Amino acid sequence: MSSLINSARDGVRTRVPRFAEAAVERARLTVVPPRRLGRTQAARTPFAVLVLLMLAGGVVGLLMFNTNMQQASFKATALQDQVNVLTAKEQSLTMELDQLRDPQSLAVAAKHLGMVAPSEPAFVRLSDGRVLGKPTPATPDEAVKINPMPSQLPDSLKQKTIFVKPNPKAGITGGSPVPGTSSADTPVTSTTGTRANGKKKATSSTTADSGATR
Amino acid sequence: MTPPRRRNQPARKPAGRNRATNRGKNRGKNRGSLRGSTHVRLRAALLVIVMLLSLFGARLFQLQGVDSKAYAARAAESGLVSLDLPAKRGRILDRNGVPLAESVAGTMIVADPTRTTPHAEAIAKILAERLHLDYFDLLSKLTKKNDAVRFVYVARRIPSTLASSVMDELKKHEYAGVDTRADPLRTYPAGDVAANLIGLVGDGGVALAGLEKNFDKQLAGKDGKETYEVGGGNRIPLGDNSEVKPVDGKDLHLTIDRDVQWYSQRVLQQAVQTAKAESGAAVVLDSRTGEVLALADYPTYDPNKPAKVKDGLLTSKGMGDVYEPGSVEKVLTASSLIDAGKVTPTTKIRVPGDLPVLDRHIGDWFEHGLIRLTMAGVIARSSNIGTALAATQFTPPQLHDYLAKFGLGQRTDVGVRDETRGLLPASSDWSTLTRAQVAFGQGLSVNVLQMATAVNTLANGGERVTPSLIEGQATTDQGQAVGTATTTRKRVVSASAASQTAQMMELVTTPDVGTAPGAGIEGYRVAGKTGTAQEVGGKCNCYADGGTAVSFVGFAPADKPRFTVYVVVKHPSAGASGGGTAGPVFRKILSYVLQKYAVAPTGTPPSTLPTMWGKDAVRAAREAAKKGTE
Repeated sequence: MSSLINSARDGVRTRVPRFAEAAVERARLTVVPPRRLGRTQAARTPFAVLVLLMLAGGVVGLLMFNTNMQQASFKATALQDQVNVLTAKEQSLTMELDQLRDPQSLAVAAKHLGMVAPSEPAFVRLSDGRVLGKPTPATPDEAVKINPMPSQLPDSLKQKTIFVKPNPKAGITGGSPVPGTSSADTPVTSTTGTRANGKKKATSSTTADSGATR
Repeated sequence: MTPPRRRNQPARKPAGRNRATNRGKNRGKNRGSLRGSTHVRLRAALLVIVMLLSLFGARLFQLQGVDSKAYAARAAESGLVSLDLPAKRGRILDRNGVPLAESVAGTMIVADPTRTTPHAEAIAKILAERLHLDYFDLLSKLTKKNDAVRFVYVARRIPSTLASSVMDELKKHEYAGVDTRADPLRTYPAGDVAANLIGLVGDGGVALAGLEKNFDKQLAGKDGKETYEVGGGNRIPLGDNSEVKPVDGKDLHLTIDRDVQWYSQRVLQQAVQTAKAESGAAVVLDSRTGEVLALADYPTYDPNKPAKVKDGLLTSKGMGDVYEPGSVEKVLTASSLIDAGKVTPTTKIRVPGDLPVLDRHIGDWFEHGLIRLTMAGVIARSSNIGTALAATQFTPPQLHDYLAKFGLGQRTDVGVRDETRGLLPASSDWSTLTRAQVAFGQGLSVNVLQMATAVNTLANGGERVTPSLIEGQATTDQGQAVGTATTTRKRVVSASAASQTAQMMELVTTPDVGTAPGAGIEGYRVAGKTGTAQEVGGKCNCYADGGTAVSFVGFAPADKPRFTVYVVVKHPSAGASGGGTAGPVFRKILSYVLQKYAVAPTGTPPSTLPTMWGKDAVRAAREAAKKGTE
């Protein structure tokens, strides 16, 4: 470093005229006195504090923000549950209302009150009080059946009377069959085949009974 | 950093030089061995580090390369929730916005028998009481049979509130093993009302029949999906999160009036059961707009109990089954004849007791010798022979074209999937017998809505308005646009021909004149027509064994029609007739809609067209006078 300055000084000496030497001497670089540096060092502390505060504030803020978000999430979950419950409740009530408004249940209620749908519509015109149509009292004969008639049993479930023809070859009883009896509840018949059949039915019915009592 | 380096450099350089020289000179000495051990330590450390790092690398490869999917799945399982967001199925509404079908969030209750067994009886008791289920059935479901069965359905499609209150009760007693799951529920609040039209949605949301199936695309909507992370049951705010919103289905608005539909179904049901008939159908049309207010079918079913539905009941039989319309078709022939200028209501016709056509004999439903009837009388007394004679003035193509314009043989396309086209044979195939038969409703077949629409043409002043079942416009799954927005109107007969026919039809419900005095409504002018058609069927595939279809069609008020009602009762027991069986159903339904829509009588004088002429007319007048004096 010193060699640099020396060479600079040599250069100056060679180039500048002698009368400017004093000015050059004055313009020579000098070391900054430490006093000034001390003042800059003193100004650094508040800056460091500020940075630290910002850092701490940021961390705490982030933490609080996160906590807040979590809290909101808990609340959202709770509210969503509440929404679900209320929606379900609303739907149940709507269903109940629909059931009450169902024409069938209304008709049943009306029937209980003894009401009958009128057979001949008639109107009163309010403007002049005239009766339009022929008012006729409704009678129970006019009532519409609102409930279906009891359904008929399918053929397979109808009780049938089965006539058993005696087998002339077996000829044990030889008599005419008893009319009006079914094979299921007549264990005694003329042929062995039907007897076995009857027995079989009886056993199966007992197992069914035991099944029911179990 | 640079200044210290500059400062140190000259100091270090000699040291380095020294070290290099020392290494050569002092190998094996104490100081040298120390320096060597540092070197060894460094190398050993390096080795350890390399080993460790390669271990980490191997593990990384294992995690990311080999097992990555399994681990990702495990991570997802622990904290990632994936939900299907089911789209809400659209409702089916009647013309007043009352729901006929709607979706609600239902719940199913399921159980794990291995866990419920210890308290099976107590749980079964609670469930049986609260859900009205069978106790013993529940008990056997809740009792463990073997360890393999860990899932049973206890109850399905129950309202969420009921389910949660039951669950609360179970929780209170600390009974484990019962759980709930979402079970979307399709309910039909009005039960069997319009069930045959609407159809139903089965398990798993699959549309099985009717409008539900035909408009499934519109009603179903599109399911969405949501994925998010949870921690402790709560959503993690900034976690992974994706959502595809569901697109809810669109509602379907019908022109059906729930109350009219219900009333029609009940009246029809009573009539069919009383007549011990096989089935029946009834249609109520708004005469001016062609909107279907009711399309009742019997037998029907309750779509809320799909398990009990019998096969073949799911569809509308009225729309899906063809039958011969019979005498109700005579009004179409008569109006066509009037429109073509061939007859007037007072045209005099000599009606013999028997009319041979080709190899067959056409007879009437009542025994008579030669009678003198006017055209109005032919309609009022429903004479086959009279109609056949009048129709001889048409060539087959003329009659065919008129009937085709009335819409016979073409689908009404209201949006019912199983609708039949009916049959109107091509006029080239017609013999003189076919022409005579077609004129009074044999040899062609229709569905109920077709026939109701055809007669409605007369109610609407001779202009055929296409019927509609859907309010506004909707597109079926087959891509067909239907609804009131697509309604078209086409003139078939002149307005005067339509009104003259209506006057003739009025005589049908006039006491002492027509075939169905029981179908008239006191104070109103009601136009109607009875029909008794023999159906082809049975073993011989002929008219004799097929049974009959009795029907009644009409509209009111006759001079300013508002509603057209058509009733068919198929295969009644012997002794049923169009006037006696279908007529009262017609009257009840018609008087109900007239009252509901506040249609007052017009108050105009009723039709007084003569039904007879010549000697018969004089005799009839004398008899009427005698009756009056008595």
